Order: sequence, then C-alpha cells, then structure tokens
Amino acid sequence: MGTKKNRNQAPGKERSSPGIDEEGRVNVSFRGERLLVNKVLSSEELDRLENAIPKEEPLRFVMVGDLDGKSKYATSLLAVTDRRIYAFDRSLDQGVRSCTYEGIHRAYVKRCYGNALLIFSEDDSGKEHVDLSRNYTNFLRFSYRVASLFDAAARYIENVAAGKNPEEEMTAVQAAFEKQFSVCPRCGRTLIRPGAPCMNCQSKGKLVKKLVGYVAPYKWRLLFCIFLSVITTAVSLLPPFMTKTLVDDVLPEGNRRMLYICVALLFGSYIVQQGVGTIRAYLLRICGDRIVADLRNDVYAKAQKLPMRFYDRTSTGSVINRISGDTSNLQAFMLRITQEVVVQFFLLIGIIVIMFVLNWRLTLLSLVPVPFVVVGARIFGKKIAPFYRRIWRRWSAVSSILTDTIPGVRVIKAFTNEKRSVENFERYNGEWLKTDISASRITTLFPHIVSFVISCGSLLIWGVGGGWVIDDPTFLSAGLLVSFISYTSMFYGPVNFFANLSDSYQNALNSAERLLDILDAEPEADFAEGKHPEHLKGRIEFRNVSFSFDRSKRTLSNVNLVIEPGDIVGIVGTTGAGKSTLINLLMRYYDHYDGEIFMDGINIRDIDLEFYRSEIGYVQQEPMMFHDSIYNNIAYGCDNVQVEQVIHAADVANAHAFIARLPDGYDTLLGERGTGLSGGERQRLSIARAVLRNPSILFLDEATASVDSETESLIQDAIDRLIRGRTTLMIAHRLSTLRKANKIIVVDKGEILEMGSPEELMEKKGKYYKLVQIQTMSDQIRKTKEEERLE
Amino acid sequence: MERIYIEHDMARFVRKDITLVDLELYDGRRFANLEPRRLFPLTGLEKYITLLDQEGKEVAVIRDLRTLPAEERKTIEECLNEYYLIPRVTQILSCREKYGVLTIKANTDRGPVSIEIRNILHGLKLLYGSRVLLRDNNDNRYEISDLNQLDRASRAMLDAFL
Repeated sequence: MGTKKNRNQAPGKERSSPGIDEEGRVNVSFRGERLLVNKVLSSEELDRLENAIPKEEPLRFVMVGDLDGKSKYATSLLAVTDRRIYAFDRSLDQGVRSCTYEGIHRAYVKRCYGNALLIFSEDDSGKEHVDLSRNYTNFLRFSYRVASLFDAAARYIENVAAGKNPEEEMTAVQAAFEKQFSVCPRCGRTLIRPGAPCMNCQSKGKLVKKLVGYVAPYKWRLLFCIFLSVITTAVSLLPPFMTKTLVDDVLPEGNRRMLYICVALLFGSYIVQQGVGTIRAYLLRICGDRIVADLRNDVYAKAQKLPMRFYDRTSTGSVINRISGDTSNLQAFMLRITQEVVVQFFLLIGIIVIMFVLNWRLTLLSLVPVPFVVVGARIFGKKIAPFYRRIWRRWSAVSSILTDTIPGVRVIKAFTNEKRSVENFERYNGEWLKTDISASRITTLFPHIVSFVISCGSLLIWGVGGGWVIDDPTFLSAGLLVSFISYTSMFYGPVNFFANLSDSYQNALNSAERLLDILDAEPEADFAEGKHPEHLKGRIEFRNVSFSFDRSKRTLSNVNLVIEPGDIVGIVGTTGAGKSTLINLLMRYYDHYDGEIFMDGINIRDIDLEFYRSEIGYVQQEPMMFHDSIYNNIAYGCDNVQVEQVIHAADVANAHAFIARLPDGYDTLLGERGTGLSGGERQRLSIARAVLRNPSILFLDEATASVDSETESLIQDAIDRLIRGRTTLMIAHRLSTLRKANKIIVVDKGEILEMGSPEELMEKKGKYYKLVQIQTMSDQIRKTKEEERLE
Repeated sequence: MERIYIEHDMARFVRKDITLVDLELYDGRRFANLEPRRLFPLTGLEKYITLLDQEGKEVAVIRDLRTLPAEERKTIEECLNEYYLIPRVTQILSCREKYGVLTIKANTDRGPVSIEIRNILHGLKLLYGSRVLLRDNNDNRYEISDLNQLDRASRAMLDAFL
C-alpha cells in the first residue's frame, strides 16, 4: 500500500517520497541493480525475494499483485528470473512456490469476475482426455487493477518457454510497466507518457478563471449595472431617514411645507429606485442570456470532440441535461456573484454606517442575531449540498428515460408496452419527487427560521429601545426608533442574502462541476494537429494490437496484419468476434489500445485526426441520417459541393432513381434519424455520402445485412462501383458480399484465425471453408424459398 | 436444442479445479471440466447457474442451487466463490472526492481496500433503495448488500454521492 499512498500525493511531494523517481517510476534496487517493479517493495518483501531466489539467477522483473489465493486483499509477488518463475502468496504452504519454464505450453491470464488468475498449462494436444486439475497450474491471483501488467508477464513466460530470446521479449514487458506508470498520480487518468502533465488536473484548479472568462466580454455592461445598483441602493437608504424626520420634526411641529417637501423627496426616490432598477434588470437579462448562450455553445462544441469512450460511459440524457439545465444554473449564479453580491455588500455597509451614526447602542443590539444566522447558514450549506447532487442524479435518470424511450416509441407501441413504460417513468419521476421533497423541507425551513430569528431581533429593539423612549425621549426619540426598526429590517436583507448564498453556491458548484466534466474532459487525442502526408495510400498495418472496452474482457488480443494499398479485404467471423472493433480502432474512435497501428508506415496517432478521418469513407451497418433534407444528408460533412456532384454520387449509389420518384425529390425532409426511408434506401444514401467524400480508404460494415435480395443487389452494385481503386475493408456476414475481395481475414474471439486470398483459405479447409459451406447451403435454401414464394 | 435444467438430485458434481467441476447426470451422461457461472450475477446469486465447457459452450443450467443436495450445492458454491470476487463493504472509513475522482477507503469482508471511482454516475449504483453496487476504475466490483446495515457514520459519508 506504500506506493499507493505516495501516488496519491501532489507531484511536488511525490518527488521526495522514497522509491519513486521524478517521472513517477518505481525506483527499487535489488542486489545492487535497479529492479523492474510496479510498486515500492518493503524491506520484508525484498528479504523474501533475497531468500528464495538463488544469487546466480538474474531477476528480470517483479510484479506486485493485490490478492492472495483465497481472494483476500494482500500483497503477492510474481518474480521472473531467467530460470524460474516464483509466486509469493501468503495463502501458499511455505508462502512461495516456483516452477521452471520447461513444460509450460501456454501462459495466460484467465479473467474471472472481479479477479483474474495467471495460469500455466502443459501441452495437451493429442491427449484424449485432459485432466485440467493436473495439467493446469493456477499460479497467482490478482484483481483487474494489475491484470494488464500480468498479461505482459504471461506473454513473456509463454514466449520464453517456447525458446524465444528473453532480451527481445523484455521490450513488451517494459512497455507494460511504462504504461502503468503513465498514470496521473492525482486523478488516475492515463497520461500520454510517464510524467506528462495531466489535462484533467491541470485545468480543474482554474474553475474560477474559466468562469470569469465567460463574464469578461460583458464586463463594461456589468460594471455599468453595478454603478446603477449603487445609485438605487443609496436612494433606498433615504426613506427610513425621511420617516425619522417626519415623525420627530415635521409632524409634531405641524410644518406643512416641510411635509410636502418630504413627500416629494420620497416620491422622487421611488421613481429613481424603480426606473433605474428597470434599466438595470434589462441589461442584466441581456448579459445573462449571452453568457448562457456562450456556455452552451462551448459545451456543445466540446461534446462533439469527446472520445467515444466518454459516450460509452455517460448517458446521453445526462449530457443533454448538462447542456440545457446546468448552463442556466451557472448563469444565474454568475450574475448573482457579479451583481447581487456587490449590491448587497454596499447595502450592508451603508446601513451599518448609518445605524452606527444614528445610535451605536441600538446598532449593537440589532447585531445580536447575526452569529446565529451565519452559523445556521453554514450548517444549512453542508446539509443541502448532497441533496443538490442527488436531485440532479435523479433528474438525469428521468432525462435518460426520455431520451431512451421517446425515440423508441415505435417499439413501445409494437410491443404494447405503453403502460409499463409509463410506470417506469413514474417510478423514476417518483424518485426525483421524493428527493426533491426531502430537499425542499430543508430549503423552505431554513429561510423561515432565519426570518424568525431576525423578527426576534426586532422585538429586542422594540423592547429595549421602546423602554429608552419612554424613560427619556431626549435620549432616544420615537422617530429614531421607528426609522431604526426600518433599517434593521433592511439590514437583514443582505445578511439573509449572504446566508442563502451558500445554497445557490452549492447548486451552482455542482452544475459547474458537471459542465467542467465536459469542458475539461480530455478530448480525442490529437497530438499531431496539422501533421499529415499529402494523401493516404492505404497501407494498413496492425502490430501486436490488443484492446478491451473494459478490463473484464479482451475484445482483441495480439492482432498482427498488413493490408496493401488497393486491397479489398473481407473481414469475416461470428458476431462478437471483434470485426467491428478492428474498424473502430482504425477510425480512431478508441485510442487506448496496446500495440501500434500504422497507415502508410506512420503511426495513426501521429496523423492529424481531422485529415485522417476525412480520408476514410465509412458506410455503417445502421446508417445514421439527420433531420434534414436528403440533399443535405448526402452532402453531410462536405463543404462547397456542386449540386451535380451530389446527384452523381446518388446515381453511383443507386439512390437517384428512388429520390427522383419522391414528390419533394432531393428536398425531401427526413424525420429524426432518417425516418420516412426504408433501410435499403438509407443504406444507399450513406453510400452516396461516401462516394461524395471520395476517400482513399473505405470501411463497409455489413452494408447489406438487413435488406431483401433485390435491394441487396442494388446496394452490391453501388458498392462495387464505390470500391474501385480504393483500399477497402468490408465486414460481411453474407459471404456473397465478399466476391470482389482479394484478401480474407477470419476473426475469432478477438484473434486473427486465418488470413489470405479466398482461394488459399478454401484450400486450407479451415474456418473460412466451413463458413462458406454453411452459407452456400443456407443461400440455396433461401433461394428455393424465395422462388416458391414468387410462384 | 433442448436445454438441460438441473434440479434436486439429478446430477453429481466432482470438483476438478478451483473453478471447474465434472458433471455426471442421472441418465449416465458425463461432462468434464465445466465452469459454473451465474446467469444473473447481480440479481440472482443462487438461481440459474450455467455450466460452460472449455469452449464456452453451455452444457446445462442449474435452476436453483437451493434445490440441490447439500454436498452438490457446496461444490458449486465453492467454484462460484473462486470465480466471482465481489468484496462486501462492511464499513466506510473515508469518502473523498477530488479532481473528479471519488476515493472510498473501506473495510470489506476481504480486507481493507481503497476504491477509486472516476465516473460517479457510472461507478456507483443504488439498487432497490438499499443495495449499492460499486465499480472502480479498473472494473473491479464491490457491493454493499444493505445500506441500512452499515453504521451511521459510514452511511452519512456515502449518502452525499448516492
């Protein structure tokens, strides 16, 4: 646990911590040499290594695990030397076991649920019955935290056991260690390289600065508003003073002239207060709207740049909620901070000064409730904070249901599930209601308690001050007492405001946090902005690529393949084999894979992202259309296209004919997500899109998966025209789609099973051969059935 | 294809490895090296346990563990306990959110642990009002089977994030 602690500290402190160097790598020496290890080892652990490993065995690396054999949290060690592999685990008899490389046929990490096992197995090929208990060794157990590290160890052990050069194999192990260290010590996000600044943490501290950035463009207007409010505040201090004059001087003396002057002055002060107040409110509203619009634009723009990983984990409902609700929340708060705080502060100071000038004793008396109000506000702030978070969570759950079910209303109707869906909505809405009600108990109670305390304060002044007036009217006049009471009630306005500020502050803070979650989230990594070759030829190479969406399952493992420019490659395999993942990685939707992918010999991470994607045409399985005209949908993402180019593209895609038949032609407005068109029609529009882009590389994902044979042949024609002269990767379930392919890749369980020309694979009589046979049979059945139906 | 559902005393299991069993059915059919897995790991700990062979193909399904004879039940449960690691949080020592990462230091039935959750919305789920499922940055799972069973201090710390 020692290392963990160190890693959680601020970078400045971390440098001085023992065992970790400036770049965040662990620095432990063993027998005079620096040891490759993922955590700092205690002296006791080093002693155990020292005692168990003979001196003549050079130690390659040590991996520190976190579970013992009985699934309890404990430090365990895997030590790999040139001769043996050691496991140190307190649940073992002697606390240690070891084995040699001989006899190890496979070494792998078996991912269970929440834990994983390093397993060595003997060669069991050719044996009829395998007794797994005897031929398999469960060597060490660990949690997912270190599973990727142990993956590298397993690969090393398997390869070295197979006779490969240990020195060469160490590079992969070193890379795995390096990746473990490329983690931000503060927030745990993966960094570009060890010791690199974390984009997440760097900007988090600048919350205020960020928000100020949105207010800054309107600072002159806002300053003017403040100036206006100083006027209204000053004027609002006048009436109580006039009251004193009226009660003490004008009325007892019966001075009518003074009476009218006082009334006129009061009238004037009301006009100024309301008139100036109106102008100020209007200006504030404009500034506020602009701020919220700016914020919304930025959040939306940022949302476009977020990696797919973000969307995999965040519900669209909560993103929409942030763009719509949180921005307004924050805007309201920013205006409060920039305006009300200043105004109320002036008011507070002004009143206190006047009160002290009028009578300092009464002033002190009226300050008695202040500590209660302030302490109460702090308690209230603490109590209410979790509620705002909870209310927001419940509300995003409700929004999630909306974004989920309203677009899926066809399905709901088809399954007559309206009642259930209403019930579901009511349940979530009820949860929100419950939380909101429990929050409102606090939010409504607190202001009333405050008001009560303040009222009690005024009672105090009446009681004590009134006594003084009765005792000695020269010491304290009745008019002064009345005006004092007015000032006291005015005085508690700002006090109340500051007490309640924590409430809106908490709410805004939560909103700000969620907005910054988007604004500050790491965008899709584009380290090579502006760097790109003139044109991509389309030579694709995967080198040792492994990938998992989450750590519980490997989607791709150790993929190696080369595709030459102009190749038409068919990717086949069962559902879930990893076909689409290959394309996803090539599209750079996910960047956190192990290994490297090259395009024309350049690592795809080193090519300008925008340029890179613009060179690729992607026809998806379920083409996404937008609520716009057919013309704009085809020309999507292409600026400055000629009308005829669009028509030509539609023609190539076999779409022109059906578009021409529509009453509104190319101006036909599609519904949300392209409703109003059939699946095949949408598919052809998406091919037209790709044609218009004229990409050098093309990805087709099951383009004819869900259409009838006639449409299929129309689409097939379109595809044939589209792929001419381009490097093409086609994912297909129907092997007939692949007749143009000159290379086939068979993917199974995340691995490349077979690769070669269709003829080679047919000769090989492997998985591809089997698939072709099954398909031919089912195709024949389908054909006969269709013919029967026609007859 | 007909699915074999196992109930009561229609099958015998022999433990072969930490997560593997051999199965012999009452009609004499035998299957070796099967791995019991829960079909409903979150909502049904004892119901619908599937038995997968080394290729990942299902051989049979145990309908309800509780109907099995005690010995058979124990064999399967032992396998499941090896396969599934969902530490049960018994006490929360601290709950701190910083830089968008929630760090929960807690005692579990498997020992003390520090759980780091980057995305609170995603990693912290409340089910049926009192059961909490946690999923950390590395996709390890944890569980609080009943919030109301936790001590007051633990509950108060966690409350803000639920």
